[in-house]
Amino acid sequence: MNPGARIVVLPVAAVALCPPAYALVYMSVEQAQQLMFGTHALAPLPLQLSADQIAAIERDSGVKVYAGSLRAWKADDGYFFVDAVIGKHDLITYAVALGTDGSVRQVEILEYREAYGGEVRNAHWRGQFVGRHHGDAVQTGRDIQNISGATLSCTHVTDGIRRLLATYAIAIAPR
Amino acid sequence: MRSPLHHAERTLRRARPLLGTLVEVRATAALEASALHIAIDAAFAAVERVQRRMSFHDERSDVSRINAARPGEVIDIHADTHEVLSAARTLGDLCDGCFDIATAANLVRHRLLPAPAAGGAARQPEPGVTYRDLELLPDAQVRWRSAGWIDLGGIAKGYAVDRAIDELRAHGVTSAVVNAGGDLRCFGESAPIHVRAPDEPSALLYLGTIENASMATSAGYFCGLQIENDRVDALVDPDRGTCIAWERSISVLAADCMTADALTKVVRLAPQSALGVLQCLNAQAVVIDRNGLRACGREWLRPPPAGSPATVLKFDTGRIASL
Repeated sequence: MNPGARIVVLPVAAVALCPPAYALVYMSVEQAQQLMFGTHALAPLPLQLSADQIAAIERDSGVKVYAGSLRAWKADDGYFFVDAVIGKHDLITYAVALGTDGSVRQVEILEYREAYGGEVRNAHWRGQFVGRHHGDAVQTGRDIQNISGATLSCTHVTDGIRRLLATYAIAIAPR
Repeated sequence: MRSPLHHAERTLRRARPLLGTLVEVRATAALEASALHIAIDAAFAAVERVQRRMSFHDERSDVSRINAARPGEVIDIHADTHEVLSAARTLGDLCDGCFDIATAANLVRHRLLPAPAAGGAARQPEPGVTYRDLELLPDAQVRWRSAGWIDLGGIAKGYAVDRAIDELRAHGVTSAVVNAGGDLRCFGESAPIHVRAPDEPSALLYLGTIENASMATSAGYFCGLQIENDRVDALVDPDRGTCIAWERSISVLAADCMTADALTKVVRLAPQSALGVLQCLNAQAVVIDRNGLRACGREWLRPPPAGSPATVLKFDTGRIASL
């Protein structure tokens, strides 16, 4: 029999998460500023949105505006933003560079946090996998690498960028 | 040429929203940070190029132009798109048509894909069209015999990962992982691999490590739609002409990520013939369901080291269909 034709059962070391959560930090705000604007100076740009502006941004983008989620900076050659979006199970912080014409120059994810409420279900099933703990790599706030099957939608990041562009058009560009 | 010995080895890890998911690049090289960033930029740019050419949604993509074309019309496409179409055809032929890129009409019908934009809306696919109705001509051209709609969603993501890896190598990166929402490929150092528990995506299972290999996993946990009492996922069974649900997590490991990505669908749709296809393409399948975990095919995955107390799971020497 061809050895490849055997079905083998692999030993597997599983990590049951308690509480189930992990976080990935890709870069800091300062690192993103450096990456996107190099030595160009960035000055904080206060964003005090009026109720009318918030309504207009929500109408334009179809996305809810949360007070204080968006931070903005201005450089001589564009704008730098940091924003966060909340999905069903995750919180994603991201940075966006816009050119002076308001076009998107670059998007980078800064931080990805995943958290699920509640208990780990189906403890019996999970019991089959519990062999050893893979270090403590998957505890709250710790780093984890290479999840295959992490097919998370980035829809809410896309929504966030749409909201950000609407904010730029309504509250920043006219200044 | 710059000697790599002049710089200490460093690792950078970045992510961008691309291909409808988060694409992560982790790269290590003895390069200045700025040079390593340029390498990662080039990897993301390669993914963007694949997205632009093979998107079902972008009306300027090669895929949209194919979906808008009339039978007999010769369509010029990019060589990369032609390469993916050719690989899809080979795979379709290997599994007797169970992998079929021309089933997009079913996805549209189930609203897992929007109807093709603009030009494509001008014509509907003819009933019963398969990938075999799209002729692959030399010089990066294709032509429909009967008009259909294709979707490369089951293969292009893996191809994009492969192109990103090419760019990293070309830029002097010595070790890297590119992960596009679960379809990943690594080279250089071995990489630890986790998968999500199919019934509970928050629980991660550590499977071991891979080296210079690719792995793709398909399961229904974050996508899919509830339609009346049934859940359907973005997977079409060509025999039944309908969308079906994933019931378990299916991972495939192979040398390249395009093969791994596409084979997850073959293992799901045709478990009876999947073993032959896996062997033919030098690939391994790892299936996790409520009975535990099983693997077959070439052993790409290096399980956790012997001596670590690992659980022996239910062992089934039966047919692969029992996967």
